[in-house]
Amino acid sequence: MGRTVRLVLGIPGYAAFALIAGIVGLSVFVLTQNLTLVSDVIVGGSLPLSNRVTVLLGLYPFLGTSFSVVSGLALLLVAVLLGVDLAMVAYHVREHGLSLESGGGSAVGALLGTIGAGCAACGPALLVGLLSLVGAAGALTLLPFEGLELTGLAALALVLSIFWIADGMRGGMIRGCPVDLSG
Amino acid sequence: MNRRTFLATGAAVSVAGCLGGNGGATPTATEMIDETASPTPSGERLENHAAGADLEAQPTLGPDPFEAEATIIAFEDPSCPRCAAFERNTVPKINSELVETGRGAFVFRGYPVIYPWGKPATQALEATYARDAEAFWALAAHYFENQSSFGDDNVLDKTRAFIADNTEIDADAVVADAEAKAYDEQVQLDLDAGEQAGAGRTTPSVYLFKNGRYRTKAAGSVSYSVIKNALGI
Repeated sequence: MGRTVRLVLGIPGYAAFALIAGIVGLSVFVLTQNLTLVSDVIVGGSLPLSNRVTVLLGLYPFLGTSFSVVSGLALLLVAVLLGVDLAMVAYHVREHGLSLESGGGSAVGALLGTIGAGCAACGPALLVGLLSLVGAAGALTLLPFEGLELTGLAALALVLSIFWIADGMRGGMIRGCPVDLSG
Repeated sequence: MNRRTFLATGAAVSVAGCLGGNGGATPTATEMIDETASPTPSGERLENHAAGADLEAQPTLGPDPFEAEATIIAFEDPSCPRCAAFERNTVPKINSELVETGRGAFVFRGYPVIYPWGKPATQALEATYARDAEAFWALAAHYFENQSSFGDDNVLDKTRAFIADNTEIDADAVVADAEAKAYDEQVQLDLDAGEQAGAGRTTPSVYLFKNGRYRTKAAGSVSYSVIKNALGI
C-alpha cells in the first residue's frame, strides 16, 4: 500500500490534489465549528482584509488556541489521510477508468470506499473537533478520551479505504511501475 | 463481511450520519453545529441581546459593559477543559490589553452544560459572588487551574477548603447555599441567557460587542488575536 501511495503522490498533479484536498478537508472540519464567526467576520462584515485573514488563520490547529495539541494533531492526521485517499481515488478513476476489474477492485468500489470513508472521516472529525472545542458535550463526555476515539475510527476508515483502493490497482501500472501491495 | 459489503455498509451508515440522521441520544455533528448558530443579527444593541440579560448583576471586570469600547461576554463551565484553556491562554490577555487599559469589559456567565460537577461548582460560584466578587474570581480561577482534581464526589468539599483557606467569606455558608441551590435563580438566568443567545451546549461561547453593539460570537477557546481582530480594535 505504501509503495502504491508513494507512486501516486510522486506524480506532481496528484500530490497537489492531495494537498488541496487535505487543506479543504481540514478547513471544513475547522470552520464549520464557528459558522457564526465565519459568517459575521470572515465572509461578511466590513473589517479590513488583514483582520479577516488573522481571524481565519486563528481558527486552525496550532495557529490559534482552539485545539489542544492532541486534538490538533488528530485533525491534521485525518486531513492528511483524507487528501491521500481522494488523490488515490482520483488517480484510480482517471488513469484506470471506471471499468477496471483487476485485483477484484473496481472503480465503483473505490468510489464507495471514498464516500464511506470520507463521510466516516468527516462526521467523527467534526464531532471530535466540536468535542475538543467544548471540552466535551452530553453523552459523549462518557468517552474516556473525550472523543479522540472517533478520530481514531475516522483515521482507520481512511486507511482501510486507501488500502482497498491500492488493492484495486494491483496488477496495473503507475508511472510504468507494476503495482503490488507488498511495499 | 466482504470488502464490498463493508464499503457499502460504511457508505450508507456514514452518509446517513452526514445527513444528520440520529437514532440515538447522542447529538450528531449537524445538530451540534446548528446549536452554535447565533440567532441574533449583527449590530443588535447589548441591552437587547439575549447574552446581555441582567448584565448588571453579572461578575464583570473592567468598565461598564454598556459604555466600553469592547465587551466580551463569556459563557463558561468550570468543568469544561476548553474553558480552562480559554482562561489560561486568552483571558489574561483580555485583562492586560482591554480590562486594565479601560478599553474593554469582561463578563463571566456560568453555563454548566459539560460535566456534572460543573453544576454544583456553578451554584457555589453564584453563592460566592453574592458575598464577595474578589472571592468569586479566585474560586473560578481555582476551578479552572485545578480542573482535573475535581469530580462529583469532592467538588463542594474542595470548594469549602479553598474558600476557607483563601478568602474572608464563610465557606460553610457558601457550601450550604450551593447544596440548597439558594442561588439557582441566578444560575438559571445564565442558562436561559445562553440558550436564547444560541450557545447551545458549546462552552466557552464568547459574545463580542463593540461600542455596545453585537459584533459576533466565537465558539471555543479562541485566541485573543481572534477576539481583537473580530472586534476590529
